Amino acid sequence: MRVLVVDDFSTMRKIIKNVLKQINMDNVVEAENGKHALSILRSDSIEFIISDWIMPEMTGIEFLRACKEDEAIKNIPFVMVTAEAQKDSVLEAIKAGVDNYIVKPFTPEKLKEVIGKTMAKFGK
Amino acid sequence: MEVKLINPFVVAAQAVFKTMLNIELTLGKPSLKEAKTTSGDVTGIMSMVGDKKGTIAISFREKGALFVFNSLMGDEAPFIGPEVVDAIGELTNIISGQARKEFENTGLNLKASIPMVVVGKGVETNFITKLPIISLPFDFSAGNGEAEVMYLDFSFE
Repeated sequence: MRVLVVDDFSTMRKIIKNVLKQINMDNVVEAENGKHALSILRSDSIEFIISDWIMPEMTGIEFLRACKEDEAIKNIPFVMVTAEAQKDSVLEAIKAGVDNYIVKPFTPEKLKEVIGKTMAKFGK
Repeated sequence: MEVKLINPFVVAAQAVFKTMLNIELTLGKPSLKEAKTTSGDVTGIMSMVGDKKGTIAISFREKGALFVFNSLMGDEAPFIGPEVVDAIGELTNIISGQARKEFENTGLNLKASIPMVVVGKGVETNFITKLPIISLPFDFSAGNGEAEVMYLDFSFE
């Protein structure tokens, strides 16, 4: 499964990649912001998206909305992994169509659990 | 400054270190700092606005920063380079997020900026309040029994 990991911090991209590798999801493409991620989505066969929220150029919530408004990519599972833990933020992401939401800090087990649940929701 | 403005940072810093680094942080004696300068060798800085406004700075000495990087990434870094700077920036972002969640529990809503990282001790920084800075020193063990400290400096009004 080809996974797109979007975060402006390379540290977090690497942490997420390490967790994905543990569950045999090691076919990963990286992007530093939503704008970069959208360009990848339009030219690559991405099957799962994990994205941060606060990023320069295009934020995670703007990226999420763009994905869910695009017929060609709206059915790709989208998990938000973010430090934005306030209730308003979670609600905003749910309204925008996020498929799952993880608040940083997280343990590797938590990330694996949420990815598993999201994949099950999509029958993957 | 009200105590309720201190506790969210203490709870957030300790929770983030425990969850992501398996490191116990012990709070030392807080102090007031007049100079708006970095306390350690590498410092993540974020401002927040909303019901209150202010700035936080998460600062490490070089050895502490390298140990934190190693604990977070499982990689060794010989010096404070781009990877360590990135890691301290992300750690600052996560601590800020947890602190804002704690503030929300007390009825205060805050939005944060993208963090920036400054390398160098005693560097002038842009705290957005006019109040003195409260400096919270957190002790932690950096392996082989070596004591290190993380400074969480903040000013909110």
